[in-house]
Amino acid sequence: MSGSSRALFNSEAMQHIDALFGYAMSLTRNQSEAEDLVQETYLKAVRAAAQLAPDSNLKSWLFVIMRNAWLNQLRHRKSAPRLIELDSEDSKPWSNTLQTSNNPHVIYMRKLDQLQVRTAILDLPDAYREIVILRDIEGFSYQEIANILACPAGTVMSRLGRAREKLRQMLSGWQPRKKARSV
Amino acid sequence: MYSCEEMRERLTLYLDHELQGEELTAFEFHVLNCDECRSLVEKEQLFLNSVRTAGPLNVAPPELRSRVEDLLLRKESEPVATKTQPKQTRTKLTWGLAIAAAVLVITLPLIAWRVLQRSNGPRIGQPSSFALMSADTHLRRTRGQLPLEMESGTPGQISNWFSNKVNFSVKLPNYQDSSGQEKLYTLEGARLVGFKEDYAAYVAYRMKARPISLVITSASVAQPSGGEEITAKGLKFHYDAIQGLKVLTWSDRGLTYALVSDFEERGQQSCIVCHQGANDRDFIDPLKPHH
Repeated sequence: MSGSSRALFNSEAMQHIDALFGYAMSLTRNQSEAEDLVQETYLKAVRAAAQLAPDSNLKSWLFVIMRNAWLNQLRHRKSAPRLIELDSEDSKPWSNTLQTSNNPHVIYMRKLDQLQVRTAILDLPDAYREIVILRDIEGFSYQEIANILACPAGTVMSRLGRAREKLRQMLSGWQPRKKARSV
Repeated sequence: MYSCEEMRERLTLYLDHELQGEELTAFEFHVLNCDECRSLVEKEQLFLNSVRTAGPLNVAPPELRSRVEDLLLRKESEPVATKTQPKQTRTKLTWGLAIAAAVLVITLPLIAWRVLQRSNGPRIGQPSSFALMSADTHLRRTRGQLPLEMESGTPGQISNWFSNKVNFSVKLPNYQDSSGQEKLYTLEGARLVGFKEDYAAYVAYRMKARPISLVITSASVAQPSGGEEITAKGLKFHYDAIQGLKVLTWSDRGLTYALVSDFEERGQQSCIVCHQGANDRDFIDPLKPHH
């Protein structure tokens, strides 16, 4: 890789550091571990940069590296992966989702506050949080998410449907928290 | 034309922009002609928009950003030694660390002597992580990398915007409008910034085309430390020069603040955004350096 290519790669890779740190926080739920994971991801990316095809999606590639690095860490620790299997993901999620969506208690028609949405996303079960972040926060397509998670696109769709349904349920009972202090 | 059931089976795909060609055309045709399904699409879209505009959930800490930038600048084959080196690469550095340890043992007496020599001079500690984060945030704002989440020149609107977004109350003074004096600065807007797994309040000002950043968090999350200590009107300020910026941090009534600018001296001019009255000279003057 030439010097100018490396500089371009570095510049483009740095544009994704916030997204990678957010994903690392989602995987590890620990700032120190997340920072280590981000560094490890960039280290692996630099070493493999020459293998990246020119028309590749760099962001998606970095996410794949990060997830594999995280799974490696879990294997080295000899602990069970934290991303546990959720309910059966083979069935169609949409019909159930939409039936529940018609529930008058579900909060569709009011504008949701950003903080309450963030809080709810962070409180989702690991696998649901991960897929909501990949799709709705980072904007990856189903196929890109399937590549990152190493699972079929159908699983992405069904898991996403369940994750969003869970998110709706959590947001329906949210109450703001506030402390009084002024400048 | 799709039935309502077929349409609903494809709703998630539609909302995620995964429908294409004839399927997309058929879906949109159905929605156009079915009030119930159109209403459902609108409700789902509203919900997803709320989720999709909730990001970013985290912002990389400035120290991490610096470490990664350093890492990227190194040659591909060069081992990377950083403060929080990932565990997998640590074993490869065992010999390097052993040599470094040996060098440290040999040079430790010399280092200790230098430290003792310096202890007679003025003590200036390392900037706090909050000061570093605030300087980094200011830089990213000036580079156009940090868009504001809300734009307003009205302090009240910005204060209201922060309610329910951070777990403390942000009340910005509105001195300019009430004083009738010439406006020395403009308020531009606000956003949230991540700090220590929480959100801090970021407020952007501009004075004579030069940006000023005010970052606020709870004192339970960050305590000012390091830098040069200056006491003014009973408050202890910490002044740091970080990447050419002037950063003042302090705590007051349960909140910790950072004020960042590129103004002269210690950047005390930036205090005007909250302290513009004549009586406030007692407050700002002690911050000036004494020559």
